[in-house]
Amino acid sequence: MCIPRHLVAMAVITVLLCACGGSDSGTASIATSTARGTLIQDPPYRVASLNAMALGAQLSASASGQQLLQIAGTPACGVDVYDFQYYTVGAKGETTTASGALMVPTGAAGTCSGPRPVVLYAHGTQTDKAANLANITDASDTEGIMIAAMFAAQGYIVVAPNYAGYDISTLTYHPFLDADQQSKDMMDSLQAARTALPSTYASATSDNGQLFITGYSQGGYVAMATQRAMQSAGQTVTAAAPMSGPYALAAFGDLIMYGGVNFGSTAFVPMIITSYQQAYGNILSSISDIYSPTYTGNSTFAAANGNVLPSTTPIDTLFTDGVLPETALLDSTTPVFTTSMGLNATQAATLTAAAALPSSTNFPTPPFSTAQLQLFNSGFGNPGLINNTYRTQYILDAAANPDGLIPSASTGMPASGPQNPLRIALKTNDLRTFKPTSPTLLCGGDQDPTVFYSVNTGAMQNLWTAEGLAAPLVNYVDVNADPATAPTQQLAGIETAFQQTIAGISAAAGGGTAGQTAVVENYHATVAPFFAAVARSFFSNF
Amino acid sequence: MRCTKAAAALATLCAVCSLPVHADEVDGVPANTVRIGLYDVIYHASSTDISGPFTPPGLSTDIKDLSTLYIGYVRKLSSHWVTELALALPPLSDTVGAGPASVGSVPYNNQLIARVRWLAPTALVEYQFFDDSSSWRPYVGIGVNYTSFYDRRSTLAGDEASGGPTRISLTNSVGPAGTIGISWHPLQHWEVNGSYSAAMVNSTMTTDTAGVIRTAKIHFNPTPFILSVGYSF
Repeated sequence: MCIPRHLVAMAVITVLLCACGGSDSGTASIATSTARGTLIQDPPYRVASLNAMALGAQLSASASGQQLLQIAGTPACGVDVYDFQYYTVGAKGETTTASGALMVPTGAAGTCSGPRPVVLYAHGTQTDKAANLANITDASDTEGIMIAAMFAAQGYIVVAPNYAGYDISTLTYHPFLDADQQSKDMMDSLQAARTALPSTYASATSDNGQLFITGYSQGGYVAMATQRAMQSAGQTVTAAAPMSGPYALAAFGDLIMYGGVNFGSTAFVPMIITSYQQAYGNILSSISDIYSPTYTGNSTFAAANGNVLPSTTPIDTLFTDGVLPETALLDSTTPVFTTSMGLNATQAATLTAAAALPSSTNFPTPPFSTAQLQLFNSGFGNPGLINNTYRTQYILDAAANPDGLIPSASTGMPASGPQNPLRIALKTNDLRTFKPTSPTLLCGGDQDPTVFYSVNTGAMQNLWTAEGLAAPLVNYVDVNADPATAPTQQLAGIETAFQQTIAGISAAAGGGTAGQTAVVENYHATVAPFFAAVARSFFSNF
Repeated sequence: MRCTKAAAALATLCAVCSLPVHADEVDGVPANTVRIGLYDVIYHASSTDISGPFTPPGLSTDIKDLSTLYIGYVRKLSSHWVTELALALPPLSDTVGAGPASVGSVPYNNQLIARVRWLAPTALVEYQFFDDSSSWRPYVGIGVNYTSFYDRRSTLAGDEASGGPTRISLTNSVGPAGTIGISWHPLQHWEVNGSYSAAMVNSTMTTDTAGVIRTAKIHFNPTPFILSVGYSF
């Protein structure tokens, strides 16, 4: 058979070229198991790698960063930030995914590599569904860079989950303040991060076995719930420092529904109702059971069946579009309690007075300042987010089965037999029965307009004191306390700096009423790095 | 081996080249010529900023110029017209970072971040001036370049800059090509050939780093200078 010469030539060229082939390079391995705590991508994605000098420079580039540097101190270590993904569960035990930030200290100093302690950090309430603590350059969310500067840059390995329902999570809701789910989420993120650590670029840094748990606001609650869950599971918790968390959820809920409305409640309340509806299925049968017609009639609110937060739409836009009210949680028309509700005339009159617009008459204890009463009143409007029919039902149950703290202090414990499904759910997730066995520091500020100190941190302090728990096992810091009474000079410095900052916020707004308003709007966010500094100081004792 | 598509393309081009001619001589001159030589290319590469999650602005890539082996096959159609299939031994091209000196504290600018091999056959139709008796024959040609990228490897420096082990993919490109050149025929079967060519290559680069997807549009105009010797048969 004769093969044309040009075909032979072409075949030779083809063979020559193909002999030069190779293979494409790979990427991270993908987990095949969906079991809780499984790391999905190994190694995880490194978002940023900053040496100590670069981190300091990044912080110095903004006013907020400069303030953070003053509180956290000059970075001693570099920080590698990883965005890791893991499997966890939702409120009903359903398998889902979540992501978190793993921050690993780097550098030659002995405090920056080798075996290092782990800080498991729980973040505060976040309305942005896309929020990711690993994105430390996100100017709209400074919590990530705060924990990087406060902990990782000082030699702590930081594990900070974004929580199920955020970022890449496939969960369509967030199990807000669900103690069981959120503690599982935290523990699953810790397990996944520990799996990831050896395969990071900072493999010279390893886990020394010490575990510190902390978190702020919602995260303060989650930190305590996680401490409780790990304690029950027999797992090591070296120390914990929950910060400004709503630990006494049932009491806090009753206070709010009586009219002691906290700043931010129009975001928190729909989140908690959605969360507990998902977990227990009995909070409402229709959104009109709880919410007023103005909001159930809003197309966005109705389409989401009330599950409007977290959202990819900025919360200010949700306010502007009428999806949620900015502050008006309750209706300014006082609900009227009558004898037809199974009350006698005195009881009916008492409850009607209790549910009226807040004043020193119906909110005498704990002592509420004029500014706090103004804050409570800002939580009312016409209409409010919550309809009066539901508020009436809730208060009737709160009166029939009162909490041990609200409206007046008795046992300090949750109600023994609440009947309202939301009150039952709040009691289920209330942390007042918890007694820590590992060193614990509760940190809060008694002027906090978002998470009230007295019914949360103060309540825990009273209960633990009554149980005989004392330092060094349990410790308390109120950053609004007189610095002269602080047990250490370092703590006195933190308290002084915080109080000066708050005074500065008020003065910058012109003082007076405008200054008080500015403090209300900024207090809770401002206090976070000061709390974290207190927590770090506490952890350094171990 | 990632040569399936490339081999298919070559086979197609081969079939096209063989269609019009059935003899091994045209006007008494051998119809087939194979060439081998030096392929020295300047890429004139540019890319859009790399976009994707956690990606600061101003990061792009550049491709280092290189030299490799040229292999060509020329099929004579008439005394003035030829077709050429021009190939370069697929080089392992160096891709370097272009942009800021570092991303965070990780060096970036001018760091070798990836090495990519590609097969880029160019099919040309050329017009040769003068006649077959001339020792010197200038020519011009136009054609089509097909570029297929394979053997794409992110380097350790590239992985570090990207945030972890990274998979790279690049879409294939089809674009116009042109050439000018001159051949010298000192002996009956032998020639020395020099040419300068240009092509247009567009590709979309996609990287996957632990599920983080980034993209960039890459454009380059390779202008190879080729010096080769050929044998006609």
